[in-house]
Amino acid sequence: MAEKSLKTVSESGSSSGRGTGLVNYYWQRIRRNKLAVAGLAFIVFLVALAIIGPLFTSDPTAANFDEKDIPPIGFTYLQSAYNIQTDQITTKEIHGTPKHILGTDSKGTDMLAMLISGARISLLVGLIATGIAIILGTIIGVLSAYLGGWADNILMRFTDIMMTFPFFLLLVLIVFVFGPSLAIIVLVIGLTGWTGTARMIRSEALSLRTREFVVASKALGARDSRVVFRHLIPNVISLITIMATLAIPGVILAEAGLSFIGLGDPNRASWGIILQSGWRTMRTLWWVAVEPGIMLFLTVLAFNFLGDGLRDAFDPKSNV
Amino acid sequence: MLISVKDLKTYFFTHRGTVKAVNGVDFELRQGECLCLVGESGCGKTVTALSILRLFDSPPGKIVGGEINYNDLDLAKCSSKQLRQIRGKDIAIVFQEAQSALNPVLTIGDQITEQIKVHMPLDRNQIRDRAVSLLTDMGIPSAETVMSYYPHQLSGGMKQRALIAMSLSCDPQILIADEPTTAVDVTIKAQILDIFRELKTKRRMSTIFITHDLAVVSEIGDRAVVMYGGKDVETAPVPELIVSPKHPYTVGLINCLPDMSKSGDRLTSIPGTTPNPVDLPSGCTFHPRCPRAMKICSQEEPSKTTISAGHYVSCHLYT
Repeated sequence: MAEKSLKTVSESGSSSGRGTGLVNYYWQRIRRNKLAVAGLAFIVFLVALAIIGPLFTSDPTAANFDEKDIPPIGFTYLQSAYNIQTDQITTKEIHGTPKHILGTDSKGTDMLAMLISGARISLLVGLIATGIAIILGTIIGVLSAYLGGWADNILMRFTDIMMTFPFFLLLVLIVFVFGPSLAIIVLVIGLTGWTGTARMIRSEALSLRTREFVVASKALGARDSRVVFRHLIPNVISLITIMATLAIPGVILAEAGLSFIGLGDPNRASWGIILQSGWRTMRTLWWVAVEPGIMLFLTVLAFNFLGDGLRDAFDPKSNV
Repeated sequence: MLISVKDLKTYFFTHRGTVKAVNGVDFELRQGECLCLVGESGCGKTVTALSILRLFDSPPGKIVGGEINYNDLDLAKCSSKQLRQIRGKDIAIVFQEAQSALNPVLTIGDQITEQIKVHMPLDRNQIRDRAVSLLTDMGIPSAETVMSYYPHQLSGGMKQRALIAMSLSCDPQILIADEPTTAVDVTIKAQILDIFRELKTKRRMSTIFITHDLAVVSEIGDRAVVMYGGKDVETAPVPELIVSPKHPYTVGLINCLPDMSKSGDRLTSIPGTTPNPVDLPSGCTFHPRCPRAMKICSQEEPSKTTISAGHYVSCHLYT
């Protein structure tokens, strides 16, 4: 008997050490999904850029009309101007310069500097709003499942009511009333975006609540708070991670959408604001709108790939 | 006498009607004995065990009648705070499937120290030492290392033993084991029965052992309570129950055991299934399946008859 058990221990002994076992296991699973790894790499790159990038670029708000309308490096822009004295249209060739790798806009502001500071704002909006939404959703979902009965009923009907609000219209209305400030946008997205999370967490916690280890913990004299924090929440962490990863791009897009229709915070150059400032000159200064568009596209894609990869990795039934 | 359960009734109030899972059970647990609750699936064994510590979900479950007397305290009515003091410290439960009774995201060490922290005034090192020695006592080799393992890193038998160690962590007076041998293979079953036998001889542990396996009952049980339809139909010392069963249901259960000396025969079974607890049959709940049913059986509930000292049966055949 002792021999048999010893063998089992040594067989599984390779992945010993507190905590590393599970983290390692999931990392191995995620690693096999190339798209998820690419997404993760892009996100890490973006975060690094957002944190240290502004130290190396010029002021993203400074205008310099001597260097306006410069295309990205490797492109040439034919600038036509009508000269009233000679009554002629003169055409000037502007070449991209290494000083402004991604070009400048019509005020001469460096695009790279703007995009990096935009990454800061877009990521911050995404993370904070998602954080608020996920925390609220988890609290409401777990409480609802754990308390059950009338408390569950009240919380879930409240969730239903919140779900019926057309979220984007509500956002437009509130920004319209209170003025376009980043704090308000983040708060509104966070305070309205928790409903889906609450429902998912509730259904997961409901099935966990009847699992034997929860009953076993109660049988051994654990308090309610202990059951919730030691047994319910650690078991929904994987779900929370997936939901948060998949929610971040939605928030970034919502902020960009608001900015695009002119309800963004004009004092902060988020990607949406840059896009909005550039779309009118799409036919000439195309890069001003295209560059933030590409950044938005890649960021959303990266988060979605990573979220999908996480979902597969956390699902014991998927064969990754 | 440690625990005496009198006319316990636990009902579940669901949308489809009242489920009378436990419908009038009487038994008592004596110091140092192993009492077996025997019966088919759905006869109310597990709910009886859960009722002792009120571990079912409420709502929909509720103890609607009866008493569970333990140390001047009626566990059916005491406050949940009093109950929480008793859970784990005085009365502990071992669950059926170690796989699902262990939290997959916490290490064995985390889980085993959890209730020591709740119930015992020890510091961190003492708690850890205690956990390691408990695991070692259960025959787990290199217990120090196992402490940092997650449940999926252990074999089924190791998990079951870790689970028993967890239940014993605060030196409970009474251990309730809910089919601890059902979900494991025969070798591990033998090991687990050894552990329970040892608990009885070394620690004088009083155990309520729930099983549907009469072979297990005959191996470790001192007395057995046969349950059917949420009631105890026959209570007797184990040797007497096996040799001279009285209730037709007990007789049926014993006949179901495969006889190795007669090969090739079809295995006998009791026709029918356990009654729907929402809509129990009138009179004796076993009468629709009983080979010796009489007219009175469908009309009147049988009362308890004493066959000999400590052997009771609820059947009209003996009144």
